[in-house]
Amino acid sequence: MATTTNYGWTTPDDTSLVKDGASAIRTLGSSIDTTTKNLNPSTTLGDIEYRSSTANTNTRLGIGTTGQVLTVSGGVPAWATSSSGSQTTLATGSLSSTSVSITSIDQTYKDLRLYIYDMANSSTGGSGFRFTVNSDTSAIYASNFLRDGGQFGGSGANNVNLSAPINPNVESKMVLDLLDYTNTVASKTGNYSAYFNDYYATPQRMFGMWAAQTTSAISSIQLSVAGGTFSGTYTLVGIK
Amino acid sequence: MAKTIRPMVKIHDTSTNEITEREMNDAEFEAFEAANVQQAEADALAAQKAADRAALLAQLGITEEQAKLLLG
Repeated sequence: MATTTNYGWTTPDDTSLVKDGASAIRTLGSSIDTTTKNLNPSTTLGDIEYRSSTANTNTRLGIGTTGQVLTVSGGVPAWATSSSGSQTTLATGSLSSTSVSITSIDQTYKDLRLYIYDMANSSTGGSGFRFTVNSDTSAIYASNFLRDGGQFGGSGANNVNLSAPINPNVESKMVLDLLDYTNTVASKTGNYSAYFNDYYATPQRMFGMWAAQTTSAISSIQLSVAGGTFSGTYTLVGIK
Repeated sequence: MAKTIRPMVKIHDTSTNEITEREMNDAEFEAFEAANVQQAEADALAAQKAADRAALLAQLGITEEQAKLLLG
């Protein structure tokens, strides 16, 4: 019997008898059906296929779960939870009052990052931006930073104070990282970078590190100024 | 005697996305004032250092830029 070039489906020879036609068509159709199914094993919404180790036979891969990414495992495609770099917004809001407390923080991430945009203070002559974690105001904080005008730092403080007066008119920005925030063995630490404008509208570019001598997981963050009220926005993200 | 108007605190509960705003309670106000005292002390110390530095530069008869050159 003759066969097709690519998939080897059986077809009647030129000399085959007409009475065998129905059988030949049925055999060919069955072969096509089998091959097509082998190449397209999908059964469910979101399925994808990839080439298996057997020629002309694909393997079905069901859709992953929300947030998973396509990766390679054992030489074949697989869905997996992203191990790093995945960032999820946990809270966004506007700064107001003299103090803002972000509470009930999700404990399922590796790190936290807080973005502060367009921060200003109602009080001329402003006051330093500062923060605490878990509303803990005992003398557990240390901070060191480089800023226009020199190097500053200290420990045994009841907050992390950036000593950067915030101008009522000129907006400031900041990124604050809180690393390994659910760790219940080690002290907490992180870094921050900020661009403040003081009340002389003088730029204060700064970069620093902070630490809090507490083994409690961080479940809340308090932002405050010494006087006046905030304006601006904040976004808290969790990082896997 | 008139009640002291305390600073306001805004609380953002991320589990419910509920935001409330109220006056600081006693513990918060006490911590707030303690932080302000600590900041004032730090600011005074920084100002004193700046004044001491300026006085020393004047005594030496050099500018701040010249002092930076000397220190590399």
